[in-house]
Amino acid sequence: MKSIAIYGKGGIGKSTLASNIAAALGGRGIKTLLVGCDPKADSTMNLLGKRIRPLLEIMREEKRPPPGGFTMVGFNGVVCVEIGGPEPGVGCAGRGLIIGIRYLTEVLDLKQFDLVVFDVPADIVCGGLAVVVKEGYAESALVVTSDEFMSLYAANNLCRGFMSISAKVGGVLYNRASERGKVYVESFSNKVGLPILGSVPASDEIKKADRVRKTLIETNPSSVASAALTSLADSVYKNCFCTIPKWIPIDDLEGIFHGDA
Amino acid sequence: MSVIMHPRPSPIAAAMYTLRDLDVGVIVIHGPSGCCFRPARLLERDGVKVVTSALLDDDFVFGSEGKLSRVLKRVDELFKPRFIGLVGSCASMIIGEDLKKAAKEAGLLEKTICCDIHSGSGDNTVGAISVLREATAMGIIPPAEFERQKRMLEMATLLEQTRGTARSEYIENSLGDPPKEVAHAILQVLASGGKVACVLNAKKETAFLYADVVLAIWDASRKLGGKLQVLANLDPDVGLPRVRAYSRRILDRFSEDGVVIDSITGGIDEYPVSGIKAKEMILQSQPDLAVISGIPHAVAVENAIRTVAVSVGSRAVANLKSLGYDYVVGERDAHQVSLGRNKRIRRSLLGQAIREGAGG
Repeated sequence: MKSIAIYGKGGIGKSTLASNIAAALGGRGIKTLLVGCDPKADSTMNLLGKRIRPLLEIMREEKRPPPGGFTMVGFNGVVCVEIGGPEPGVGCAGRGLIIGIRYLTEVLDLKQFDLVVFDVPADIVCGGLAVVVKEGYAESALVVTSDEFMSLYAANNLCRGFMSISAKVGGVLYNRASERGKVYVESFSNKVGLPILGSVPASDEIKKADRVRKTLIETNPSSVASAALTSLADSVYKNCFCTIPKWIPIDDLEGIFHGDA
Repeated sequence: MSVIMHPRPSPIAAAMYTLRDLDVGVIVIHGPSGCCFRPARLLERDGVKVVTSALLDDDFVFGSEGKLSRVLKRVDELFKPRFIGLVGSCASMIIGEDLKKAAKEAGLLEKTICCDIHSGSGDNTVGAISVLREATAMGIIPPAEFERQKRMLEMATLLEQTRGTARSEYIENSLGDPPKEVAHAILQVLASGGKVACVLNAKKETAFLYADVVLAIWDASRKLGGKLQVLANLDPDVGLPRVRAYSRRILDRFSEDGVVIDSITGGIDEYPVSGIKAKEMILQSQPDLAVISGIPHAVAVENAIRTVAVSVGSRAVANLKSLGYDYVVGERDAHQVSLGRNKRIRRSLLGQAIREGAGG
């Protein structure tokens, strides 16, 4: 069983990549579990076509729900779970993630899957959001980034966090890739010591699929973007690289964009 | 910066004691049911209802202002208090719970003193100051009284940091000297015609316990002789009404026994400054022995005069010994002994030993 956790700046496309990777691998007969860790509970929507009831919400009524009560099978046989969490502005999402993940791994045998993907919200801004890699539920993390400065800034911050908790990272997933911006992501990856596992171009087709709550793998498997997503999925599944990354000072990060790369 | 590793008083407990001093009817801790359990039970003996919002893991994850609001409403129905004290806890404050919003939703904002503190807010006095600030904003106490109390609490904090149990990274526990042995030393001075300074420098209701030491020495002096100098921080015109009433009750009792007080050094809530005044007077009068009860480390005479320190807590005892007080008596938990029983003087271990030594 291989387990990965996907991290990256908010809105960078983590859930879109996670659901498409799961769909692509599911289509190859790889038994995949996608665990959405965002309180919004939106990671699995594109595989199910709807919002699944989150585990924490179910646990408020039924202390120990059985796996059948909180899992659903989505497109290409991908098993879907949403951990869930509080409404915006209240409570503690990090604590929710700790409770949810611990319960999930207690009652659901993850070894029955070939691949477990944890889609984790935003940066590891608190200990709770780091629990997936910190407590070893995922063997390694993957960092999603675009070639925009703020996205790389967040990716660098994540590397800093992974370094401080000694978490291993498998590589960088380059989303919304462009010829012009490629050099920035390559330079960043070199500096933090991570490989780029694949890139997915900015695509209207992906956005269209998102709007109808489906993965591009389902709506348009023959498209260019779909081929990129499938290639990325293969790369993620086969990747054996795993290291504790470095991080770079802000001046070095800015240098990447000022031609000092 | 070194970390103070031994357990320290909590700002939540200090806030609760201050709310009790303000005579609120109910204190609600917005936290787990076990939060500050011991102070809560002690305060209940003093007539204050203490309840919690009984937070559980679910409440931390999803927030619990609604639950708090319901608890406040229920508390108001059950106990009909004039004022409600509402105190945060580590868990509720870390997840950003809004105490005032919950009180407003319950329709009880005008009678609820909200205190946004938790055990990690810093020194315990932070909790007391927070309550007093809110009470001032609500018009319960005048701004000048708030400023005075705040100054005292800040001085108390400084005192703890320089001469109290917050001055070392770790203090061992110590039982102190046997009360019998210390009583013998005091009685010897009296019997030989020497002069003993009896200093009461206590805080809150613990004054009812420490005042017993003064009474016992006064009685012994009448039997054995010797001269006494009595100094006490029992100004009945300083502090909140409850605290002034404490002073009056103790003064009445002293009066019944014929105790003559040489100087009132300040109010019961002024122990950091009353200690300085007592020190000056002792250094001037040069007694053969000074017996200081309550917060002895506020009366820094240990290197100039032969001293007996009477206090509470095994770490406070160890600290007083290391400061250089010649004898240190550790009383039983002063709050435990005196809380809820503040209508009369409580018997102290040292007082008892002095009485026995002096022939009952």
